[in-house]
Amino acid sequence: MKIIRNIFLCSLVLTLPVLASAASSTWVLEQSTLTYHVSHPLHHVEGVSHAARGKGICKAGVCNFLAAVPVKSFKSGDTNRDLHMIEVVRGAKFPMVMVRTSMPQTDLKGGSIKVNLSIQFAGQTAHYNKVPFKLVPEGKEIRVVGSIPTTVSDFKIKPPELLAMPISNKIPVDVDMTWKEQ
Amino acid sequence: MNAKWVKFIPGILIFFLSFSIPICAQSSGATLSGVVNDSSGAPVANAKISISNVFTGQSVETRTDASGHYSLSKLGPGSYDVTAVAEGFPTSKSTVTMAAGATQTLNLQMDGSSGSGPAQSNGSAQSSGAEPSLSSLGFPKSEVEGNAKEQARLNKRSHMLQIHQKLGMVTVAMMIAALATSGGAKGHHGLPGSPAGRNLHMALGATTAGLYAATAYFALAAPRMPGIKVRGPIRLHKAMAWIHGPGMVMTAILGAMAYSQLSNGERLHGIAKYHQTAALVTAAALGTAVLAVTFKF
Repeated sequence: MKIIRNIFLCSLVLTLPVLASAASSTWVLEQSTLTYHVSHPLHHVEGVSHAARGKGICKAGVCNFLAAVPVKSFKSGDTNRDLHMIEVVRGAKFPMVMVRTSMPQTDLKGGSIKVNLSIQFAGQTAHYNKVPFKLVPEGKEIRVVGSIPTTVSDFKIKPPELLAMPISNKIPVDVDMTWKEQ
Repeated sequence: MNAKWVKFIPGILIFFLSFSIPICAQSSGATLSGVVNDSSGAPVANAKISISNVFTGQSVETRTDASGHYSLSKLGPGSYDVTAVAEGFPTSKSTVTMAAGATQTLNLQMDGSSGSGPAQSNGSAQSSGAEPSLSSLGFPKSEVEGNAKEQARLNKRSHMLQIHQKLGMVTVAMMIAALATSGGAKGHHGLPGSPAGRNLHMALGATTAGLYAATAYFALAAPRMPGIKVRGPIRLHKAMAWIHGPGMVMTAILGAMAYSQLSNGERLHGIAKYHQTAALVTAAALGTAVLAVTFKF
């Protein structure tokens, strides 16, 4: 009897975490600040957008996230520069930036994680592996902070020039998002 | 130990272990299959189907058969980008999440009428409900649809403004040269300048005026983007045009009068003596306009 009880308890202990992680959940992007950085010998430009929307679905222990932001929503404080940016990145033809990622549901408990991102931008798709992010749980919300090491060449964008000097190939995007579980 | 309970042990173990993480699933592989049709429902044969793991970037390809059917097997669990490419159709893209060992169907539609923007996700993963889609995010349709005409307008605008920028730099250089030769035109210490000096200054001034007109044309004729409120250093750049525009005209008129007076051996008098002042004010306004968009103010 004692042996049977022990086997039963061991099986239960093995199974419970799996049952817990298999629960479905949905996440919605509550607020976001996305900032791109462009470097030129004469200028350093930052463009900011707060218009991203996103959704995450967790099922069978795997969470799939999609975040999208309109290209036109990025503002640098200079209308002329913003219009040129939209032209250079083909933002009228491909108006959305979309970022997809998948991760184990257990990653959402917080801490530093590394995720693989698939980014659709300017009519191209680029993959970025092991991008570090910091997850800070705040009750039913999670704050996600990190920086995506995007480059102009990854999306086949011709770098704009000023006085015959092109911008730097690196255009990192800082991410500060708050996701809420539904 | 009671033997009556012992015979239930295997059943109990199987019951609980069936919920365990399928560690061995990776070796059996998942299968993704489906049919590719066009907007009329006709099958699309020989379409290239590429599937790429979002995690690892590894990809597998196949082609649809005569009935538009495709199948990819031995796939590991995870999320995949699925791309369908066929001649005469824009690329169709979708995403799917494969569970370990599962068999899933993803039918794709190649829409021949769609000509703008990247192919947004339009596949129907019939057995995967775990992928959020762009349409579920609630963006207005006008924000997610590409506009090739607007892109062409932006391209034209940028092209013309780039010519404006380059011509502007050449104009500034020519203006500096004209200013540098002004001494030879009017002379020093009350003495008139030489005819050669006057002619050189006049030629440089006339060239500057011609280049200025061309520079202004490309700025004024560049397409405007409706609904855009002008913000930033470009406002100062545009405001300076109200000074250097009329300034160029006045400088040219006063310069012609000054040239005539000096050529007749007269001293500069009347309104013609303000030619240099007008030129300096015009040059200062033009220089400010250039600096406003070159350096961060």
